[in-house]
Amino acid sequence: MGKLLFEWDYSSYPGAQKYPHLFKSIQLGNLTIPNRIKYAATEDNLNGRDGFVTDSGVAYLKERAKGVVGGLCTMQGVYLDEARRGQGYVGQAAAWDDKFIPGLTRLADAIHEQKAVAGCQLMHCGRVGAIEADYCQGPSPVPQRLRIFRPVQEMTKADIKQCLKEHVEATERLLKAGFDFVEISGIVGYLLSNFVSSYTNRRSDEYGGDIRGRMRFVVECIQEVKKVCGDVPLGIRLCAEELLDDVSGNTPEESMITYEMAEEAGVDVMSVTAGWQESIYPVISRDIPMGSWLHLAERAKQHLTIPVSMAYRLFTPDLPNKAIEEGKLDIWEMCRPMIADPLMPKKVLEGKEEEIRPCVACNVCLARLFRDAPMTCYINPVCAHEWDPKYEIKPAEMTKNVMIVGAGPAGLECAWVAAERGHEVHVYDKRQELGGTIIEASKAPYGDDELYGQIRFAKTMCEKNGVEFHLGTEVTPEVIEEELPDSVVLATGPRYSKGTAPGFDRQNVVSVLEVLSGTAQVGDNVVVWGNMKPGIGVALFLAKQGKRVTVVGREKKLGKDVNPSFLWRYVGYLRQNKVTTYNDCDIEEITDEGVTVVTYDGHRIPVKADTFVLTEREANPALKDVVQENGIELFVIGDALVPRNLSSAVHDGYRIGIRI
Amino acid sequence: MAVDPEKEISGLWRALQGSQESTRRTFYQMRQALLEVAGPDADPLDISVRAWGIIGKDMGKAYLPRMNLLKGIEGLMMNVARAYQGLWTTNGAVVDIEKGQKPNELFITWKRCPWPTSAKEHGASMKEDLQGCDTYLREFLEEVNAFLGTNLKIETLKSIPSGDGVCLRRLYNPEDK
Repeated sequence: MGKLLFEWDYSSYPGAQKYPHLFKSIQLGNLTIPNRIKYAATEDNLNGRDGFVTDSGVAYLKERAKGVVGGLCTMQGVYLDEARRGQGYVGQAAAWDDKFIPGLTRLADAIHEQKAVAGCQLMHCGRVGAIEADYCQGPSPVPQRLRIFRPVQEMTKADIKQCLKEHVEATERLLKAGFDFVEISGIVGYLLSNFVSSYTNRRSDEYGGDIRGRMRFVVECIQEVKKVCGDVPLGIRLCAEELLDDVSGNTPEESMITYEMAEEAGVDVMSVTAGWQESIYPVISRDIPMGSWLHLAERAKQHLTIPVSMAYRLFTPDLPNKAIEEGKLDIWEMCRPMIADPLMPKKVLEGKEEEIRPCVACNVCLARLFRDAPMTCYINPVCAHEWDPKYEIKPAEMTKNVMIVGAGPAGLECAWVAAERGHEVHVYDKRQELGGTIIEASKAPYGDDELYGQIRFAKTMCEKNGVEFHLGTEVTPEVIEEELPDSVVLATGPRYSKGTAPGFDRQNVVSVLEVLSGTAQVGDNVVVWGNMKPGIGVALFLAKQGKRVTVVGREKKLGKDVNPSFLWRYVGYLRQNKVTTYNDCDIEEITDEGVTVVTYDGHRIPVKADTFVLTEREANPALKDVVQENGIELFVIGDALVPRNLSSAVHDGYRIGIRI
Repeated sequence: MAVDPEKEISGLWRALQGSQESTRRTFYQMRQALLEVAGPDADPLDISVRAWGIIGKDMGKAYLPRMNLLKGIEGLMMNVARAYQGLWTTNGAVVDIEKGQKPNELFITWKRCPWPTSAKEHGASMKEDLQGCDTYLREFLEEVNAFLGTNLKIETLKSIPSGDGVCLRRLYNPEDK
């Protein structure tokens, strides 16, 4: 039995009965971790541009530390050099000088306050670094596939030696700050992975050549850092599969050799990962089914004697619990699920799984980081605002009778938040079912069924807080006048807009909702009107049924409302399904034979079509006048206000919920 | 309101030709500006070749996401050849690709290319036009080679600026004997 930092007894919790393998202890080196849960090191861009830790960063991590219920909570990877060549994110924390120790100590203390194990990470970003410098470093000057990165300069042996020294010195500072566990990041294109990969390491000296040569820098790094760590356990993150076969990256067999060599060099735990930022294959977006990468952890287990941890689309506790039971995994790592809901594992332990706000694997969190913006979450409005009291759900000063019209994501979010504050909340919807347009949107292919998880979550929270549902009830001016609530929130969703061109009133014009719900007759040749997410979703839905689909929209670019870290998936699927797109175009006419598309500069393209699907939306002003005429406090949220996306609906709902 | 295909296509065709013409004219206008800024000692050949080198390297970088070794060196060579073909076709050339007799050898033929005519119109020498193209193609290829660790080469066998009627270039992998 190793050293135990905090006593935890899970035996009386329902989650520990249901998922016994997640809540049993494990030893990393000489340290005993009370459970199998790890918040993975995650960049958040919440630190100052000078690398100093901020209040918002501390508050963010403290909430995640609470979530791991005694497990391992790892702070983001720190950069190690004053020249900032290893810095990959503008708000990345630094550890290249003693002046950073007080801030790092605040993070370690924040984790310890929650009786969790404080982990830290060393992260030289290599060929994807130098975000604030003129060039980045790597083993060889191989240009990156993507333009956003700085030019790569080949490291000399002196550079390598200096880099090893920086790893050691940063470790000393992190240990002084009070961290209990150290991890070295060697994944996704960061420096260590650059040395390991045959794609980026073309050196002919002792740091290059075969896989053993390419691992030399990693081995030396482990050995040097281990000397400083002493009894503090040391972990490493390495790729089990780089997914770089198109550019002559490592084979899976070579990757397993790197694992064996890392263990031999002295690491106490291996974090298994897949893919690089430059990989052409998707890894973590919601089009990849959950649990898809577990075979990599299982493979790692076959090559190692040390514990193995893994994140990567393990969003529900049943998957890691079973994997641990079957000996395929030892520790359940999480990053995005705990961005979406920082208390996720705590809720699992307490038997409150229905109260978990599920991550939709949209990757907006990553998209923000790559655009030098602070972390945010698509569906967690509080994410990165944990420090801000304005985002807290506080009891209302005066309780009100609140009528919410529309049981979609905006309405439901607003409802549970307002109800939790003490308001009497009534949600009306003309449909018999909760969910609004998410009911249909979640029928689109490539993982969009996961979007409905937001509705399940909000329903649970509404029920918990005593929200009354009035389903199958259309709210008319008379209903409002009769009920005379104190506040009305209009969350009625958008109106689907018809253009002014001739033919929009034809029988072959149907709405996206009718198509996705299966109530519309759709022919073999379809034109989808609207090039934002609803248009993309329905186009893919129809194309996968073998229909010939053309998307036409006024926006200059496809999927303006989809974040860039996910848009590339849709673009690929549209191409794969042979969907034609005309952006920056309008409709001139719809006939029985087809549609005349007109480009922004007046050129006309005839498109054969027997069905025309409306997805263009506009704000929905219904009921506004009657509410205002009656002197009732009015809020309009979600697509009824401005048609946008699920994220905006949830964020609108939350913000109004805490204000009413 | 039926679409008149002939009217639509002829309009687009005119727009495409106008755009191609404008691209070439802009290149030579920029070259002229550089010559004036650089002064009387500047050699137009140096400026032009340097410019085409920058363009070639940048286009090579732009095409990296499409370059891969999934179909081996032969597949990569075809990727490169098609990239050249696409780039020149967009500029108004007609380009064919043929496999050579040796493995990993492709012949690319510019059966028609508007750039030498433009060079003449703007007072540039044929030597400058030819070296510009060669530099563009080579820099593009060097970027791909650096990215994938390959060693592909391209050589010019015939050229329109030299009066051969066509430009013929050989793309090959010297490691295949």
